[in-house]
Amino acid sequence: MSGIWYYMERDMIKWVRGKIAVVALLVMPAAWLIFVGLALPVTFTGNYLDFITPGILVMTMLASSLQGGALLMFDKILGFLNKFLALPTPRESILFGKILFITIRGVIQSTVILIVATLIGATILSPAQYGMIYLILILFGILLSGLATTLALYVGDHDSYAAVNTMISMPLFFTSSALMPYSVMPPWLRAIATVNPLSFAIDAIRSVESGIVPILQVGILAVLCIVILAICMQVFRRMTV
Amino acid sequence: MNAIETHDLTRYYDALCAVYHLSLTVNNEIFGLLGPNGSGKTTTVLMLTTLLTPSAGSASVCGYDVARDGEKVRRQLSYVPQDMAVDIKMTGRENVLFFAHLYGVTDPKGRTDEALAVMELTDRAGDLVKNYSGGMRRRLELAQALVHEPRVLFLDEPTIGLDVAARKKIWEHIRELRKNGMTIFVTTHYMDEADQFCDRVGIISNGKIMALDTPAALKSQLMKDVITARFSGTFVAPAIEGIRLIACNDGEVSFTAENGREALPLVAQALNRPGMTVHSLSMREPTLDDVFLHAVGNQEEPHNFDEHRFQTMLRRSK
Repeated sequence: MSGIWYYMERDMIKWVRGKIAVVALLVMPAAWLIFVGLALPVTFTGNYLDFITPGILVMTMLASSLQGGALLMFDKILGFLNKFLALPTPRESILFGKILFITIRGVIQSTVILIVATLIGATILSPAQYGMIYLILILFGILLSGLATTLALYVGDHDSYAAVNTMISMPLFFTSSALMPYSVMPPWLRAIATVNPLSFAIDAIRSVESGIVPILQVGILAVLCIVILAICMQVFRRMTV
Repeated sequence: MNAIETHDLTRYYDALCAVYHLSLTVNNEIFGLLGPNGSGKTTTVLMLTTLLTPSAGSASVCGYDVARDGEKVRRQLSYVPQDMAVDIKMTGRENVLFFAHLYGVTDPKGRTDEALAVMELTDRAGDLVKNYSGGMRRRLELAQALVHEPRVLFLDEPTIGLDVAARKKIWEHIRELRKNGMTIFVTTHYMDEADQFCDRVGIISNGKIMALDTPAALKSQLMKDVITARFSGTFVAPAIEGIRLIACNDGEVSFTAENGREALPLVAQALNRPGMTVHSLSMREPTLDDVFLHAVGNQEEPHNFDEHRFQTMLRRSK
């Protein structure tokens, strides 16, 4: 178990020391929030900032996870993975350490977004509501980082992974319920948006904001998380022995 | 109980056989596995360190089977792969401490300082590895490997890409470790280093052990002196009693003889035939290079250099 922590710590030290990467990761989502939340000439709802914040939060989690997916692949390419696999530490802790780090990094970014959103006029929620938002984001982060890490390991080279990454992230974001409510979407977009996994997390956070406890959605997310982790572990085992 | 033991260890990559019925016993010594590129050295190390499952046969490290008791095997060994993998954004101490934590040693801080001191890195332990030289990075990797006091140490090309002084230093450290009771399994391309520092060497070619003994014994099997002739023209192997041909390529041919001084004129005479001109003749004691060429034959690389395949390989290994 402790192996997971030390693997996470290593990535954390490396991330924090690459100062530009930290700044970039924090500025990007804040910029999105400000430009889209405040500057977009159309508003679909009363407080558009409140409406768009969940979308930006989930998008940040997605971007951070997809970007973090490359970490394990690089460890493999640079020869670190072989060194780690020859250690007596349970091998799965390599994978879980990555997932933990990527999720923590996503949560740090999300916190910055929540602070910026509040500063520029989003409604302040109760501690319980914030807690629930974090729970959803963490579950979503684990799910995505597990998927991204395994996918990158499977794809194996950086160029291909970067292509897959771009191919997934942008369409997924624009066809979700992040930017506009279902009611104003054209029917074809509504059909896509309702089955988009991003919308699922976004809608759950919106329910929290409107005072509902989305037990069903959190439950489904949790179950999905466990299933995906189990699959990732299997793939990881098969790819590393 | 032997530190390393293999019985008919075999590994196939699809149809290609990388290691074929390899049987070895290694104990408290520096054992060098020598062989041309693609001969199965690294595959052997990967199987012994549980990073690759054998296709057939068995291997054990400190009495634990590599296929069944993976975790117990990994507790006994340390593995330093070829591609120097240390985190350059972390300090030397952080790099070693990270491994100390992962090995779960008691008193990780104390052990880290000890390992750094053994590798003479104490002065620079607080610097980022970014500022380390190649030799220091290699020593740092050794410190990482030593932090849990393994009984068996696997080193894949430990001195590749280092300058002469750094290489000598690495080997001195390895010797010191052997003195303290560790078993060290090394793969290397550098014959002179293997000759000088390994207690025993195994020469592997196409996955098979071709020669296995102490460097001195291997050299004495090749008789006493080596005579090398440089020539031009077509080479026809001469038959001279008491003189053996060991290798011939690119206008250079080597023989061994019990008594080089007496053999020298005989060789000169035999080579002096129409269609062939001898430019020079020299005589020296045999080195491990000669043993290697004799055991492996003159096969060079397994295939001719193929630009397209080389590019594909580079892209894959990225």
